[in-house]
Amino acid sequence: MVTKMTNNTNSNKTTERLEKMGKEIVDLINKNEEPFYDLPVRSLSNVYFDKKSKTIKMGDKTSRREFLNIGHARKFMQTVAIAAEIKKIKKENATISIRDLYYALKHTIKGTKENMFEEQSESDPLIEDIEASLNLLREELSLTASTKGVIAGNMVVKDGKDVIDLARMGSGGWGVPSNVEPEVVEIKDMHAEYVLVIEKDAVWKRFNEDRFWDKNKCIIITGKGQAARAERRLIQRLNKEYNLPVYALMDADPWGFYIYSVIKQGSISLSYSEEKLATPDTKYLGLTISDVDKFKIPNEVTIKLDMQDLKRIKEMKEYPWFKKKEWQEELHLMKERNYKLELEALNRKRIRFITEEYVPRKIQTKDFLP
Amino acid sequence: MPSSAEIFNNFKEHSVAEFFKKNRQMLGLFGKVRSLTTIIHEFATNSIDACEEAHILPEIEIKIIELGSEYYEVHVVDNGPGIPEDKIGKALGKLLAGTKFHRLIQTRGQQGIGASGCILFSQMTTGQPVKIISGTGQGKPTYLELTIDTAKNEPKIYSKKVIDTDFKGVAIKAQYKDVVYKDGPQGPFEYIRRLAIANPHVTLKFQEPNGKTTVFERAIKQMPKTPLEIRPHIKSATVDEFLQNAKSSGNKIVTAFMKECYDRVGEKVVDDLADEIKDFKLKELTIRQMDWQSAEKIVKAIQKVKTIAPRTDALIPIEEEYLKKSIVNVLKPESLSVVTRRPTVYHGGYPFQIECAIAYGGDAGRTLKTDEESQKLEIMRFANRAPLLFDAGSCALTKAVQSIDWKRYNIKDLDNIALTIVVNISSVHIPYTSAGKQAVAEEEEIVDEIRQALMQAARNISVHISRKHQLQTKMEKQKVFYRYGEEIADALGFLTGTKKEDINAKLEKIITNKLSIEDLEEKMKAEKKKAGIEDENKEEKKEKITEKNLTTFFKNSNGDKNDE
Repeated sequence: MVTKMTNNTNSNKTTERLEKMGKEIVDLINKNEEPFYDLPVRSLSNVYFDKKSKTIKMGDKTSRREFLNIGHARKFMQTVAIAAEIKKIKKENATISIRDLYYALKHTIKGTKENMFEEQSESDPLIEDIEASLNLLREELSLTASTKGVIAGNMVVKDGKDVIDLARMGSGGWGVPSNVEPEVVEIKDMHAEYVLVIEKDAVWKRFNEDRFWDKNKCIIITGKGQAARAERRLIQRLNKEYNLPVYALMDADPWGFYIYSVIKQGSISLSYSEEKLATPDTKYLGLTISDVDKFKIPNEVTIKLDMQDLKRIKEMKEYPWFKKKEWQEELHLMKERNYKLELEALNRKRIRFITEEYVPRKIQTKDFLP
Repeated sequence: MPSSAEIFNNFKEHSVAEFFKKNRQMLGLFGKVRSLTTIIHEFATNSIDACEEAHILPEIEIKIIELGSEYYEVHVVDNGPGIPEDKIGKALGKLLAGTKFHRLIQTRGQQGIGASGCILFSQMTTGQPVKIISGTGQGKPTYLELTIDTAKNEPKIYSKKVIDTDFKGVAIKAQYKDVVYKDGPQGPFEYIRRLAIANPHVTLKFQEPNGKTTVFERAIKQMPKTPLEIRPHIKSATVDEFLQNAKSSGNKIVTAFMKECYDRVGEKVVDDLADEIKDFKLKELTIRQMDWQSAEKIVKAIQKVKTIAPRTDALIPIEEEYLKKSIVNVLKPESLSVVTRRPTVYHGGYPFQIECAIAYGGDAGRTLKTDEESQKLEIMRFANRAPLLFDAGSCALTKAVQSIDWKRYNIKDLDNIALTIVVNISSVHIPYTSAGKQAVAEEEEIVDEIRQALMQAARNISVHISRKHQLQTKMEKQKVFYRYGEEIADALGFLTGTKKEDINAKLEKIITNKLSIEDLEEKMKAEKKKAGIEDENKEEKKEKITEKNLTTFFKNSNGDKNDE
């Protein structure tokens, strides 16, 4: 999984910040003071909706991680160890996955029965902590997450030395690489007029098989559920660099709405880098509860809401980015009718209803939620 | 059909000795383990009492030798005044011939059947006489062999002779069958250990059948106070005893007898008592006139009359300072708290006094042979300094311990902690539950006094235990911080180019400062000092116990006998 990185200025900036973090701790130790470091709070209590950028942003609340606090000690050690390991990767000019990093540091701590990390779920959030506190992107740390998104459409890219025509990717599409920064993925040729973000892989396959992107001059992309950073960053680039409108096609349920909101405004835990990930121009194409009447979808393909759904609806109604009238109404309607709807429900009409009728008509009539 | 005369022909008078021969459980001589412990108890307390009466600091050597299966020989040698040659038989070979019977005086043994009972037991199980050497310091010691004629309750003496050696004290060698030596909370070793704790002025040397010798050196050189003989308090009188004592008192008038033979009877008490009794004129009542009914009325009336509390100066506690010393000597605890209550009275008429000690850590508590890691609670019960090893469940001392809410004192699991709880009750009349004299009856006042003492001692111990928990937590934290610190120093060293050894050394200093373990250790040390436990400069100048080597005597005497 080790690949060469070439950007040296980037590398220096990262190394400098990591060294500064280390130096600040060593300075405390030299002054005989208890070591600590401050890091931004990454929770709902420290995010706000920035009206100017229209994305979720991180507030300036910080929390202090103290080595001599028995509840913090282990995380303190782990974070410092991760920082050192990243410096090492940078020095070797390599890029590794966050799983590689977890294994690189996993060892039994001398004189104990503990490991540096017991599970990857322990190291992943600490990497995000470092990203947030040093104001660096994951790519700048030479780290990659595993990706799962696929894309196809009227576009040609250059990935490293390879030129890839996304119109010739067959039935599987092109796997979105973990680093889609311009230094790595260069967009060469663009013949698409919009981007369609599809929640589910199965639905994406329908669109690909029907060569929807060819007939409708667009790019189709799926994150197979919640979109990862790379997919989101790529969507943002297509929107910003080529002014392509972005439409989201999700299940009509709280989870689908939420995935949409992450693409549009960003997520709470990555609030520190949403300016580089979110695409505020994104519009919600469907599915909506009101589509049931509009498209005469039979009632028997709806699914009754469960407790979890009701709880999520209540929470989402309170998020600032769902405060728009249209969304409040949609959420209200869902609760009132007490059902949700999956994209596959449209197959009840006929197999190609979604590609030949539903999406084109929605785009034509500009029937979107904001 | 046999006539009544025929039946009464078979009617024999049994001697006391014969009675005990058939009822040996009354002497505590039942159960194979218990019997051996009782034998050691009887001989050892006999020796200690003798030494104390002669104002000699006691030094007792006890040896148990295994001769075969359930067959042992017991040697007990003391440094007491010895028994004059012509009194040896009577002192040891006749039951109920002790000097302590029918006296209200605080001693360890009370029945006067102890040592002679054990001699009888030896003869019953082996058919062998007991071998005795006694030296009084005047002339050469006497050797003799002794059995008891149970029909007559008379001693029988054989092979008496003078031995050409210097020895003062009594040495006894007796063999026993049907007994078993066992380690454990009811065995002879545990008995001796506890005897040492309650008797800090006594040196005890004990050799187990496996040859292992343990010496419990005396912790103090002060003799206990000589017990005073006191008159019984008037409120402790019972009808039968009152009547008996009156008849044998030699007085003519009942009130005169009462003033003379009972404590706390003055004019005022007699006046009040006379007012209380309506049926006859108490002041004019003669002993000759007094029958059971009138005696009963007097005894009942006494309970309604106000009297001065009984005198308590006849009580001889171990004394706080001495108990402390002996516990430190034997248990070497980490923490110790000793509490002496003021003397008080139970049942209206019997003075008693409670002493308690709680020792934590060190050799305190009981360690299981099967699992040396786990430590258990140990409750040491004493009555007038004599260890009570049996019938713990029915004893007021145990019940008082169990009635305390130990969780309040940082003791979460009382049964599984390295704790020794010592309770000693001193009284001229210990209310035992049975003839076995191993359990104290649950008198409300006694239980209450023990509880008060225990709670007071527990408060002190709880401070120590809480500090110790704190220290343990801190030590664990320190270990974690040190381990993590090394990893941090590695990482910071790489990040900043600083030497990781330097970072680590400084980090360790910061960790130590933060946890202030030294302060806590200092505090605990100060407490130890306050409690009279000091581990440093423990004097090694143990005075060596004089090796009397009586085994040689006995060998000689045996040899002599074989020559006959």
